[in-house]
Amino acid sequence: MASVSIDQVRKQYGAVPVIHDVSMDIEDGEFVTLVGPSGCGKSTLLRMLAGLEDISGGEIRIGGRVVNDVAPKERDIAMVFQSYALYPHMTVAENMGFALKLKGQDRATIEKSVREAADILALGPLLDRLPKQLSGGQRQRVAMGRAIVRQPQVYLFDEPLSNLDAKLRVTMRAEIKDLHQRLKTTTVYVTHDQIEAMTMADRIVVMRGGNVEQIGKPLELYDRPANTFVATFIGSPAMNLFDGAINNGQFVTQGGVALPMPEGYQGATAAVYGVRPEHLSIVDEGAPARVIVVEPTGSETHVLAKLGSSDVTIVLRDRVDLQPGQPIKIAPDMRRIHLFTSQGIRTM
Amino acid sequence: MSDLAIPTLQTEARRERSAIGSLRLVQTACILVIALVIVSPLFMLLIASLKDDRFQILADMGSFRAFWVSNPRLSNFAEVSNLSGELAFGRYLLNSLFILGCTVGAGLIVNSMAGFVLAWGTLRGRALVLSLVIALYVIPQESIIMPLVIMVSRAGMTDTFAVQIVPWVASPLYIFLFYQFFAQLPKELFEAAEMDGASVFRIYRSIFLPLSLPALATVSILMGIESWNQYLWPILVTQTDYARPIAVAIATFFGQDSIYWDRAMAASVLMMIPILALYLAFQRWFVSSFVGSAVKG
Repeated sequence: MASVSIDQVRKQYGAVPVIHDVSMDIEDGEFVTLVGPSGCGKSTLLRMLAGLEDISGGEIRIGGRVVNDVAPKERDIAMVFQSYALYPHMTVAENMGFALKLKGQDRATIEKSVREAADILALGPLLDRLPKQLSGGQRQRVAMGRAIVRQPQVYLFDEPLSNLDAKLRVTMRAEIKDLHQRLKTTTVYVTHDQIEAMTMADRIVVMRGGNVEQIGKPLELYDRPANTFVATFIGSPAMNLFDGAINNGQFVTQGGVALPMPEGYQGATAAVYGVRPEHLSIVDEGAPARVIVVEPTGSETHVLAKLGSSDVTIVLRDRVDLQPGQPIKIAPDMRRIHLFTSQGIRTM
Repeated sequence: MSDLAIPTLQTEARRERSAIGSLRLVQTACILVIALVIVSPLFMLLIASLKDDRFQILADMGSFRAFWVSNPRLSNFAEVSNLSGELAFGRYLLNSLFILGCTVGAGLIVNSMAGFVLAWGTLRGRALVLSLVIALYVIPQESIIMPLVIMVSRAGMTDTFAVQIVPWVASPLYIFLFYQFFAQLPKELFEAAEMDGASVFRIYRSIFLPLSLPALATVSILMGIESWNQYLWPILVTQTDYARPIAVAIATFFGQDSIYWDRAMAASVLMMIPILALYLAFQRWFVSSFVGSAVKG
């Protein structure tokens, strides 16, 4: 196990910069998720950690050792690829033991290590099968097994669950988290799925356009997003944001609807008012809205409504009887209001 | 209305069935004719090789008797299967087999390595090398044969096995075939092996080469046929029986005043057997390779 330090790391393809001076410290044994939309640079950053991409500037340290010019195999890290990258002509056992074989370990040691990893991942009965004879979930576990066998200092996961169906993804999510809790190995996990990031990580790094937007614990990001991008990226359904201005102690949206402001708010620059769908409720006295669509999910009800000229999503824990077109009044939980500047930076 | 419609539909269906039947008949006839054109010379060759009277073979050529032998004998094969002497076709056959084995064996290694490096190497100018390789492919072998003859004779290589193997080991066509095959394998496989600690050569040997069975089979067959059928080059570079291949040796029959058709036919059959065996051995992968490349585009 080892800590990972990324210091002012840059990446350029020719004249095109894709990673801009990114810095972060990952503690020994920590599970960190890099999350962001496609093209944000999260996979590139992971591949730079792995040594599969050169870095154009800055420094990467693993276990205190600068690894900028160290070959991937010398970094003592293991990576699980999105496509699993299992060797098609090798059995599960051969796939898992290949790295140890290359290290020159004897057959008995390799078999023992493979057996132990197989026991952890319940792969015992599959050791003699070829990858093509396995299901998606089993292949995923073999890919993880291949990483575990090596007992590396750091695990890198590159969107490992994106090829699985929704149900299996939930199962594997729990398995990976459980595995991390048992092995306590430093893990960097890339995903574009914010639910995966929220449920698995000790800390989340939100990226956009090659920059780090915010680093924090999952609930920190959820409760106190640093900007409107993080506010809308983390949480599903996304946070409602209304452009407008403060006027006489109230926030007036561009559509002319007045929303209540927290008492004692001093900042005058707030230009975006944010409230999560679950922090809105239907009340007798509040901002007027009109129901557009009602989506019952079973555990909760999502109501899409029109607030002035803006769309607003409300998540209700209770089952409600609402009809499209019906006028309602809504009010935010005053303790859960988010305010941002016109540049999208959090002011409260 | 419906009473009228049903018979009409039935008649149309019958007409359609009969049209399909006629089409199949024409197709079958065409296939039979093509098969006959291809197979009949081979069959005639085999039959003639079993006849021991060379004048009878000549006499039968113009009639259906060319496809029939009443008293088959293997004496022709026995006569041409010597390892030394005038009709040392046993030796020529072994020579050809040795040349084929070495050319294909070395060719698989050299061409696959070159293809792998062009597909996955990090050398600068790979694209340029690849363009040159493709450009070389369009140059006909015959056009470079005289400079090659001069080169090998200056190097003192004439009348050796090496001179029939070395110049044909590396081939732009096979390098390009391997390049194409390796290039379509997923990048993650290379990277996963790299992360596992494999060197570039180990990745080639342990991961990419075992995965390239279809390409290996294709190149083995194509190279094998090419080597087996080499005629012009061995004529120019061999003077004695020492390294003479069977294709050249058979030609000596036809340079004589009186042609021994019986022995020539037996030698020709002998010549066909190894290459047919090679094709049959690799045929499954050969076909799948072509089908695979068609599907994947």
